[in-house]
Amino acid sequence: MTNKLKFLVKQSLDKKIKTKWFKIVNVVLLLLLIFIANVDTVVSFFGGDFNEEIQVFVEDQVGGYDLFVENLTNMASVMQSSQKYAIEKVNDISEYKEGLKDENKETILIQILPDEGNYLKANVISYHEVGMISLGVIQSAINTVKETVAISESGLSEEEILALTSPVVVTTEITNEEESENKEMVSSVVSLVIILPCFFLILMLVQMIGAEINDEKTTRSMEIIISNVSPKAHFLSKIISSTCFVGIQGVLLLLYGAIALFSRSLFTSSELISSGTVTSLTSIMEIVKTSGVIDLLIQGLPFLILLFLSSFLLYAIVAGVLASMTTSIEDFQQLQTPMMLIIMIGYYLALMAVQFDGAIFIKFVAFVPMLSFLLSPVLFFLGQMTLLELGLSTLINIFFTWLVFRYGLRIYKVGILNYSSNKLWRKMFHSLKNK
Amino acid sequence: MLSVSHVTKYYDTVKAVDDLSFEVQDGEIFGLLGVNGAGKTTTFRMIIGLLEPTKGKILLNGKPIDYQVTDTIGFLTEERSLLTKLTVLEQAIYYGTLKGMRKEKIEERLDYWLNRFGMSEYKNRKIKELSKGNQQKIQFITAILHEPKLLILDEPFTGLDPINVELFMEVIREFKEKGSSIIFSSHRMEHVELFCEKLVILVKGECVLEGSLKEIKKDYRKKNIHIIGDVSIDKLKEVPGVLDVQNLANEIVVKIKSDKEIDDVFEVVKKGKNVTEFKVEDATLNEIFLSKVGEAYDK
Repeated sequence: MTNKLKFLVKQSLDKKIKTKWFKIVNVVLLLLLIFIANVDTVVSFFGGDFNEEIQVFVEDQVGGYDLFVENLTNMASVMQSSQKYAIEKVNDISEYKEGLKDENKETILIQILPDEGNYLKANVISYHEVGMISLGVIQSAINTVKETVAISESGLSEEEILALTSPVVVTTEITNEEESENKEMVSSVVSLVIILPCFFLILMLVQMIGAEINDEKTTRSMEIIISNVSPKAHFLSKIISSTCFVGIQGVLLLLYGAIALFSRSLFTSSELISSGTVTSLTSIMEIVKTSGVIDLLIQGLPFLILLFLSSFLLYAIVAGVLASMTTSIEDFQQLQTPMMLIIMIGYYLALMAVQFDGAIFIKFVAFVPMLSFLLSPVLFFLGQMTLLELGLSTLINIFFTWLVFRYGLRIYKVGILNYSSNKLWRKMFHSLKNK
Repeated sequence: MLSVSHVTKYYDTVKAVDDLSFEVQDGEIFGLLGVNGAGKTTTFRMIIGLLEPTKGKILLNGKPIDYQVTDTIGFLTEERSLLTKLTVLEQAIYYGTLKGMRKEKIEERLDYWLNRFGMSEYKNRKIKELSKGNQQKIQFITAILHEPKLLILDEPFTGLDPINVELFMEVIREFKEKGSSIIFSSHRMEHVELFCEKLVILVKGECVLEGSLKEIKKDYRKKNIHIIGDVSIDKLKEVPGVLDVQNLANEIVVKIKSDKEIDDVFEVVKKGKNVTEFKVEDATLNEIFLSKVGEAYDK
């Protein structure tokens, strides 16, 4: 029987891997991941309106032109990293007003005028509507000019003015050593590297098991198979082969991810990085390193592996049982929808864990089987769950997986040879009593 | 030898098979007959170990059915039980390995049978690309590939042309000669009549007739008289004990209650003209089947 189980596992795995579609899909996945990792570089490469300079003509009647230019450049580098301004001082902007319509590039005319009550006022003139961010940047620069003009009229010395207008240096210090310094970054990294791929792999796993069992059921080849191997061996073969498949696909995805990140460091020009348009791989790695994720990963790795493995097995078992109960792939697709929504709940709760730091509900759900693999790692990396709690969550999941296999097998034995949906649930509940 | 002894099967509260008993000796072809829903498939499923009988015992060569015993059983299901996305070779390897065969042996036997059925060129073709008849041949080949001791054939001739029906029969007879027990189910009584030695007729899970085909026919008292010639149909109908008279294209068939009416019918035929044939035959299995099943339903 062991040989037959091995054969069934191999047969099922070969059917999934030794196909041209598996190869094609993986090449496409690799290319897509490389594209996603370099999407900003690609967008920049092809150019467009976004990297055209905005021509700014300034008529300054208060003597704050240099200050305005300095402030506009600084503000723009913070708020509009890719936007460049060509600023030029003019004596009278009315000369340029007529020609605004014919200008090839976006042109803005700014008139800074003195104002008796409010120190200064400004007019912004353009042919097209100025973008919200650009207008905000211009307004902030003018406000700063106004503050400086006001301070200079107050009789303060140059040093005092400089000290007053220079930005306040704010340093942060977190005394809790276990607390991660970059919570949002940790959450993003865990979601992107672990949760999201797992989510897709589970979807793949559920679909595959459902399709395979339904195929064997609808063609009645199930009768021939089950007359030669026990339903238990058959069920195990489906679970093992599908879990192996998603394991292989998962490793490949990680590999493709690494290749994609490497390609980013190759294709991204240093000019783009220095301009702040794209973030370098080194800086991402630096943030991950300083956030303490790697240390936590090493500590929790055995539990995390067991948690993910048992969760994949759990989903495979549930999908196998549901597939055995249905008589067509359409029925299975309907029956699996609630299961998919359960994963969605876990996924969203995992994303919300950063905002709702210490939420009791989220922590409770992190111990619930089928959801724990999505939530526990995130809470653990965010420092909201201890290593012991992660271990407990893993144990609960393993126990639940065993329980579902034990009782699910009873349903499976009856389900795979049932071709009628008449009194289905009664039959299935009845089968739970059969050992 | 297959022994089915007092087997009963319930699905929930529905009785699918009721106290069924029969034996199939080595080298014997046995017919399991019945209308749809009579309990044939349930009986087959119990024989191959897919279902446990609620009561009774099923033994193959004295051993209860388990996964070692099922390796020696070949089963051809009524519906196509092939994985259509596989090629013929892959399918043969799949089922053959599940029967405990080695890959080399499977391929060797597959080549033999494909050649025998004139299908060698289909070895690496996907099953879904084959015609219904060719799919049925592949299904038959996968059922006999491991040279089973017990061969269960549920409607084996579905989708086959007369030439292939003859080829199937030839192979089935070969297995019989080799000593395999064969259980055969078909709605086509002429096929059953051609090579079943013993049979059981099931109605609503209950056995209404069993025994050897010869004895069943002998015991069935109603006979058919085939007449070729110009004979008065009305006068034939007037003979006491005549159940029905059918005026067919080139012959008249008179159905009589028993042997006793033969002389009376012959008297009427003697008065006719151009009579070239007067032949008394046992009732066909189809008539026996219809009669027995009808009686059981009437009850």
